[in-house]
Amino acid sequence: MAPATRIECDVLVVGGGMAGATAALAAREAGARVVMARKSPGSTGLSGGAVSVAQDPACMPDAPFAARSGVVESARRIAATRPGHPYQLLRDRLDRLWNAVEFATGQFSSVLAPPTGRNRWLLTPFGHAHPAAACQRTMAAGDLAEVRGTLLVCGFEGHLGWDPGLVASGAVRVEPLGGPRPRAVLLDLFRWEEGALGKPFDLARLLEAPGAAEEAGKVLKRVLVRGDAAAVLPPVLGIDPAARVQERIAAEAGIPVAEFLSDLPSVPGLRMHRAIEARLAAAGVEVLGGEVRGGAGPDLPAAVGGREVVARSWVLASGRFVGGGIERRGELREAVLGLPVQASEGPFADPSIRFAARPSATLTLADSRAPQALLAAGLRVDGDLHPLDAEGRVVHPRVFAAGAVVGGHDPASDGTGMGVAIFTGWLAGRAAAGRGA
Amino acid sequence: MSKARSYAWLAWRAVVPHPLRALRRRGTGEERFLASYATEGLAPTSLEARADAEAASGCISCGLCESACTLRGAIPAIRSLGLHAAFRLCGKSDEMLAHAATELSACATCTGCEPLCPTGVPITRLVRALAARAAALDAARRDNPTQDR
Repeated sequence: MAPATRIECDVLVVGGGMAGATAALAAREAGARVVMARKSPGSTGLSGGAVSVAQDPACMPDAPFAARSGVVESARRIAATRPGHPYQLLRDRLDRLWNAVEFATGQFSSVLAPPTGRNRWLLTPFGHAHPAAACQRTMAAGDLAEVRGTLLVCGFEGHLGWDPGLVASGAVRVEPLGGPRPRAVLLDLFRWEEGALGKPFDLARLLEAPGAAEEAGKVLKRVLVRGDAAAVLPPVLGIDPAARVQERIAAEAGIPVAEFLSDLPSVPGLRMHRAIEARLAAAGVEVLGGEVRGGAGPDLPAAVGGREVVARSWVLASGRFVGGGIERRGELREAVLGLPVQASEGPFADPSIRFAARPSATLTLADSRAPQALLAAGLRVDGDLHPLDAEGRVVHPRVFAAGAVVGGHDPASDGTGMGVAIFTGWLAGRAAAGRGA
Repeated sequence: MSKARSYAWLAWRAVVPHPLRALRRRGTGEERFLASYATEGLAPTSLEARADAEAASGCISCGLCESACTLRGAIPAIRSLGLHAAFRLCGKSDEMLAHAATELSACATCTGCEPLCPTGVPITRLVRALAARAAALDAARRDNPTQDR
């Protein structure tokens, strides 16, 4: 390989999702020269708009307001009750969790609202109230714990995408516990020929056009009645935050307006993706597209997208099954360095069982509430986020792991996915840059 | 007695007509396979096709790729069930591929969709491969019009 393509840097971050981006920016803040290698944006583009860090494990799903403890306190309770969870491994450092959350929300402040220290309760498209330590700016006004009076839940007349009645049922459940009274309405917008099949990002672009958000605000104002305190709309209020679609609608209608959380394809996910791209570029992180090949670890050359990268430290933030950090080639293994994959909950938590080679059908249980070993599979790490090999030894003192590639939690369902990504990313990025947490 | 006769018949077939027919064969194995099976929508699986099918299996149907597709914005017919559903046809019979041929050939392979794919599916490569397969299938049909249904 020609010498011109060789890059020497302090930190190589493998993966460009929330964990990788947080690690890269934290290392950059600590003064390191950072290169990020990524083959795809990972599951961050699938984000529904909530940044879930920790939900009180004592809180019943149908009684969310029963949990009033703060986010960090909830994380401590998870650490005390979930052996193998990253919060449990990092329990001595949980006092820094909030620093990490504030760091990440500050880095992506173009789309994320400042966190309050407690969970906001946001409506999902499927009739639930979801706790989130942070959320996108367009969603903050829809916090069920804050809205007093009637919450107007809107859908679009003739559009097949969202059912305001179903969305509102998530608020019906918490109304007796002090939440707002929901009222579902259909707004007469987007009635063009193929309106019923318009994709969320099509609607978002339409609303960004001059005058379109004001027109939507007028339509919303016509359905308002006395006592309406706020309105939540489908998550299509513009892709570009600079278009200020939500504020324009709210100004025209005269009440606070918010989005509810998104399903797929997700406009908030696209927004997050763009915010990460912009922040990485502004912070001076060099982003290389492509898979890491032939990399054996720190101080050794790794081929990435036609370049050769030699880094003093590595941060593996390569994700799990969606991002491709954990793959199955005969058996489950970590994709970049070939590290062993282990389960940390369920019947396979015993490290003497060779978990990774078992057929995948034996790693899941029919009971949806039972621990699913496959969904929590990943690298085992020590308290400094160093990946461990099959014998439990540190693989390399300057290799760190962050985000979903770390096992012990299920990012899709246990309500700590983004929190783990941000916390481990922040710690790993600082450690890789040579700055202890 | 009839058993002995059957074995004798099989032995004669194996020793005389079968080797003679092998001498008369024309074309490569792949061409003979296509002549027999292409019209039934069965194509031989090459190593590249297998790699393509594996890459396509990374699709989680999230639809993010469509948001960056300029073609989709320009041609309404591609709106709801088009290009970005087409590469899921990788592992399917060619019969289904024929229905997506228009969308596949319309793709300008601008690669705008690829940076958005969460699982890194090489969408442009797959669309190119599928378009080539659709064209080959079409050509095979035209060569063998009598076998068309």
